[in-house]
Amino acid sequence: MYKRISAIVIKEFHHISRDWQTLIIVLIMPVIMMFLYGYALTMDLRDVPVIIVDPSPSTESQKLSSSINATELFAVTGSIRSADNPVELFKRYHAKAIIRLSPDFAADLRNGGSGAPVQVLIDGSDPNIGTILKNTMEPLLMDIVMNILDMQPPIVINVQSHILYNPQQKSALYFVPGLMAVILLMISAILTSLALTREKELGTLEQLLVSPLVPGEIIIGKLIPYMFLSALDGALILIVGKMAFGIEVAGDMISLATTSFVYIFTSLAMGLLISTIAATQQQAMMMVLPATMLPTIILSGFIFPLTSLPVFLQVISSVIPATYYLKIIRGIVLKGVGISVLWQPAVILLAMGLFLVTVSIKKFKVKI
Amino acid sequence: MKPIPLMIWKEFKHIRSDSFTIKLMVFPVILQVLIMGYALTNEVKNTTIAVMDLSKTPQSRSLIESISHNYLFNYRKEAGSFQEIRSRLDQGDIRMAMIIPQDFTTKLLHRNGADIQVLVDGQDANSSGVASGYINAIISRWQTAFLKKEMEKKGMTLQTLIPLQVDPLILFNPLLKSTWFMVPALVVLLITIVTSLLSGLSIVKEKEAGTLEQLMVTPLKPVHVIFGKTIPYFLVGFIELCFFLLFAILWFKIPFRGNLLTFFLFGVIYMLSSLGIGILTSTIAKTPQQVLLLIWFILMCFILLSGFFIPVENMPLWVQKVTIVNPVRWFMFAVREIFLKGSGIGFLWKEAIYMTITGIIVFGASILFFHRRAG
Repeated sequence: MYKRISAIVIKEFHHISRDWQTLIIVLIMPVIMMFLYGYALTMDLRDVPVIIVDPSPSTESQKLSSSINATELFAVTGSIRSADNPVELFKRYHAKAIIRLSPDFAADLRNGGSGAPVQVLIDGSDPNIGTILKNTMEPLLMDIVMNILDMQPPIVINVQSHILYNPQQKSALYFVPGLMAVILLMISAILTSLALTREKELGTLEQLLVSPLVPGEIIIGKLIPYMFLSALDGALILIVGKMAFGIEVAGDMISLATTSFVYIFTSLAMGLLISTIAATQQQAMMMVLPATMLPTIILSGFIFPLTSLPVFLQVISSVIPATYYLKIIRGIVLKGVGISVLWQPAVILLAMGLFLVTVSIKKFKVKI
Repeated sequence: MKPIPLMIWKEFKHIRSDSFTIKLMVFPVILQVLIMGYALTNEVKNTTIAVMDLSKTPQSRSLIESISHNYLFNYRKEAGSFQEIRSRLDQGDIRMAMIIPQDFTTKLLHRNGADIQVLVDGQDANSSGVASGYINAIISRWQTAFLKKEMEKKGMTLQTLIPLQVDPLILFNPLLKSTWFMVPALVVLLITIVTSLLSGLSIVKEKEAGTLEQLMVTPLKPVHVIFGKTIPYFLVGFIELCFFLLFAILWFKIPFRGNLLTFFLFGVIYMLSSLGIGILTSTIAKTPQQVLLLIWFILMCFILLSGFFIPVENMPLWVQKVTIVNPVRWFMFAVREIFLKGSGIGFLWKEAIYMTITGIIVFGASILFFHRRAG
């Protein structure tokens, strides 16, 4: 049996090495993606454009404007005397917030009473930015004004925040391990999904079938070379992550390697199942891209926090392999926890992979 | 018959004969609109939090209540020790922890105030930042209420302390609903995937089947083949665009404040690029596998760098410059502006120009490449 499987493995390796263009794509693409996304995927808001409407400029309003500009979060991109139609301002200047001061801002400020009225208009189209602006604007303005007036804000509670696992709040640290989950799954699934359909289309599958090989051997033989290729990709991603973004694996490498192999196995099995269902390569492609790309990006917790999803989607996300692998890889890389904490998602991944392979072999047998 | 209509007719026959592909063009797309419409939320909700209360006074109780009653947090069992907090954070049971010290109540009215420790699982910089913001807002609200009570005891009012009256007003999406922002973007994503995949397969399919050579010996010019191959998928894309628009408006109840004509104008210009990307990939690649890998790679880059969920303005300057060639970015921006702000072409002409240029370059390149192959 080993001999026959190794024959298939060797045959598949020949296929891969002959198609060197695909090989280059498979090995170079993840590296480029890592570079681009490692830098680009940053959620830190900086220099959010703000326009100040100031009908009667005064020293106080000038100070207010420059203090807002001095923060990292905001950049004052314009200061105008009057705004008849603020909606127009949002469309024309792409401002995210408009701060409207009253004509008697300076006087109101000193008079006390009910306080100087300030209207803050926020572009809520992006709810995330809208929420952040809504939460930060009022305390910020209050702080600045207190400062201008030389007042001491009353202190009742000091909140001391400690940020764990990613103390510098670098987005790359969060996204790069996540990217590993996305890239490994996609590469593995794409490669295997076409492996069997190609033989179907070329008619060589029949030749394989009349050979003494049993379906299980063909399928396992097809999986092994791609497993090797994907593992190579995984190692490449880790090396680039370390060299370009200084990401050190906080946990142990053995846990990382074993769990990654399990994940690659499950991803390959997904591709395999698709390739037993699809009759042509086109069909396989139409299935593999939608079935893997968006769910893996959106429903796995790669970007959007899982807890924010509605319950029925949390159920769906629990059948997506990437959901579990993300838990594992972030746990190992960022938190430094080991297999003793993460065995549960690892076992689920393995079970998924075994299930998918069994179904593929069954389906394959039925075809014969 | 003229060459181009002839090619179109041929391509439609191909599509019709492959009923499985038609099904794949329709059902997964509907399913994805439905699921993703609900899934695409960048709100931070249900953040798990546990509190360790060493003070156990009415004041600390009332502070904890203001957190446990807040719908943004998922309040978990109280923690008994530092070790417990740390291990629960490690396991992912909680993402935040708050520690109220023993001297909390006595220090509240001191000059320097009472200290509270907040531990945050900071893996995801965005959600931990937003959740910290919520906690700070809750604490500051509690603090104001507490101060007010204390001042009233002394017969003063709080207003004398506050020189400013901030009145925030949120425009365009007053309830800050994620769907309003994300569903228009979803329209863009799906139209991109469908059109680029379909056109991407069209030429390489004939390469593998060996029928491309037959096409080449006919009097058809490369231009005829390219246009004949794209126009059918352009029609398919246009129908899906209408469908997505209806779905967004009728099912997800997203307000459409702009002009329909502007929307479709942008759609047509955009499909020039998205179909072009597919066709270009298809002419360059040798096998369907290569097409798939290349399109996946291009789409991943274009989608993640489009401002879909991470504002392009956040990215480093050089990345922002690179994204000028990204048609998804401009279409995404335009569609959201048209939907939510009702912006017209007067504000969006720049985006239209960028997209047109990309489209022309991509199409031109695929005709050129096809020429070389054919010649």
